[in-house]
Amino acid sequence: MTATQSLLVVLLAPLLSAAVIALFLRRFGRLASYVSVATAGLICVAAVSALQAAGGEIIHDSWSWLSFGEFNVSMGVFLDDVSATMMLMVTFVGFLIHVFSLGYMAEDKSLARYFGGLSIFMFAMLGIVLADNLIMIFVFWELVGFSSYMLIGHYMTKPAAAAAQKKAFIVNRVGDLGFVVGIAYAYWHFGTTDLEAMGELVGDYPGLINAGIAALLMCGFIGKSAQFPLHVWLPDAMAGPTPVSALIHAATMVAAGGYFLIRIEYLFPPQVLSIILWLGVFGAVYAGFCAYARRDIKQVLAYSTLSQLGYIGAAFGLGYPGIALFHLITHAFFKALLFLAAGSVIHGCHHEQDIFKMGGLWRKMPITAFTFLIGILALCGVYGFSGYFSKDAILIAGGLTNTPVVILLTFGALLTAGYMGRLFWVVFLGKPNSEAASHAKESPLVMVVPLIILAVFSVAGGWIDFWPGVLGDSIESDKNALHRIAGYDGMHQKVVLLGTLAWVIGLIGSFFFYGRGASEDKLEQVAPPVYGFLKDRLWFDEIYNFYVAKIQQRFAELLGFIDVFLIKGVVVRGSAGLVGLVGMCSRSLHVGSIHGYVYWFLAGMLLLWAVAAGMIG
Amino acid sequence: MTVGLNAFILLSALLFAIGMLGVLLRKNTLVIYMSLELMLNAVNLALIAFSRYNGTMDGNLFVFFIITVAAAEVAVGLAIIVALFRKRQTVMVDRLNALSR
Repeated sequence: MTATQSLLVVLLAPLLSAAVIALFLRRFGRLASYVSVATAGLICVAAVSALQAAGGEIIHDSWSWLSFGEFNVSMGVFLDDVSATMMLMVTFVGFLIHVFSLGYMAEDKSLARYFGGLSIFMFAMLGIVLADNLIMIFVFWELVGFSSYMLIGHYMTKPAAAAAQKKAFIVNRVGDLGFVVGIAYAYWHFGTTDLEAMGELVGDYPGLINAGIAALLMCGFIGKSAQFPLHVWLPDAMAGPTPVSALIHAATMVAAGGYFLIRIEYLFPPQVLSIILWLGVFGAVYAGFCAYARRDIKQVLAYSTLSQLGYIGAAFGLGYPGIALFHLITHAFFKALLFLAAGSVIHGCHHEQDIFKMGGLWRKMPITAFTFLIGILALCGVYGFSGYFSKDAILIAGGLTNTPVVILLTFGALLTAGYMGRLFWVVFLGKPNSEAASHAKESPLVMVVPLIILAVFSVAGGWIDFWPGVLGDSIESDKNALHRIAGYDGMHQKVVLLGTLAWVIGLIGSFFFYGRGASEDKLEQVAPPVYGFLKDRLWFDEIYNFYVAKIQQRFAELLGFIDVFLIKGVVVRGSAGLVGLVGMCSRSLHVGSIHGYVYWFLAGMLLLWAVAAGMIG
Repeated sequence: MTVGLNAFILLSALLFAIGMLGVLLRKNTLVIYMSLELMLNAVNLALIAFSRYNGTMDGNLFVFFIITVAAAEVAVGLAIIVALFRKRQTVMVDRLNALSR
């Protein structure tokens, strides 16, 4: 098969799987799950074969999809080193999460809906990865939003899940408004939305770079990647099944925002980059604080994800898209691992999610605990683990260009180590704090094996020199660019020292502060005001609720009044009433007696005569 | 003695007024119909009188047309009245007021 054919298999096989499940297998959950997992495996193989067939060349094929006169929308595939890296990560992590779901969701009553949702998600996500123009990205972007909506609300009978899915969808719409306007602006400005063509145009005429387009397209990233200030949907999205949180809300979909920026990095002028930088830095630190006041294991991980997405945004904002991609990939491995391990814990504890009701799980679930520990070490950036390489590259890039950024991000790393330490010490050490935790057992093999594989990649994913073929070319080139900046070696030493200090202090500090297998949050006991403040998360939900209920709703009511009174009342009802009145008057002439008509006829004759005689008119 | 134009006009006007009142006051469709014919003939009389006193043939021409059209109209009108009677068993206009209901 040629590379293009393999790419089409990668893109369309999940769609076929979703269609088969939706049309024929709704009542056969088990079979549907096998179909979906087999498809995930198939696209993983097809992705590798596409890369081999491409052999390092850039593959760009597109087909006309819609055409209106001069305006053409095409669908195509565009495989370069960035999309190849992303495609392999998505298919591979996606496959492992599919396999994990077989175990985690085994007792679920709507398996077919779940696995159909996973398949449609894979289709949409790979569509974003392979898309060759902005309009195609947008189409799949919305499909990703739909599948996220569907999977967050998998437990549809729970009101929290139903509310969370709506919130995720609606908050994303806010960002997508900017996105779609940005696409229209880009088409008007460049005459094309093709990624390669726009890149060449901007390369030839750097004056074409437009801050407005970049800022509008950035809105899509802010929504999808849950950047501040549209971050509010991500923690709520944890109402979905845990593998969904791992796949969509940690490893792939939220990273798609970052990936999208990396695809169009040539469009960004410095002003917009600095907006992205500071949003990212703020998000990284803010989410780190919020994580301290969460008791739900998945919520802690969700804030950790927000924080790491902030790092990705910051890396991009510093002008190093390759390094952003690097952190995106390593984050996908270790955060998918952490979420799946958390899923294994939740599964073992019979859907108990409160970390202070766990404790002592190290002995009961050794493999889960060990892989979770690896995930934490990778996330904290311990030397040699994947997170170390990518996070340090970001910190070095910050240190060489922008000192406040590196200070804040290092502080963020300290926070990360602290709350991840809190999570680990409380969940896995000490004694069980609840009935559910004391009966916990290690999860079945189908869940443990993906954990082990992801753990291996969480360690080795950062060893970029071992990455095969063209993968990571842009990462290498950005790293080399960093190397060439004066003062690299000194900054490297400083960052290694500070980064190591950050995780050592964070992990050890949290160990002594929270203690082994605590049953109560020490911070809540020691300093209730601080805990309460962190728990309130700077009142973003409240502010948005206030805005929606008190400002937007009032405005909508005003518009509603104008609609009801002016449009419906005066214009529509008024004109209808006028016609009705005329009708009523003429109906009263209609007496049904022939003599009446003769009198009217006579009156008409008299009138005609009077007019003809010039007496009136 | 010769009869003057005024006498013809007066007679014509009287006939027309009788026809008019008949249309306005009578209830039987057939009688209303006859009254209508009377009005037509009043007009015919006036036209012929004018024609005679003017010494032109225009009025006579009109009258021929009116008689022809009236004959056709009577054929249709009477047929309608017969059909009406078959359908409703009455030809009294005060009972034929379906439109007002």
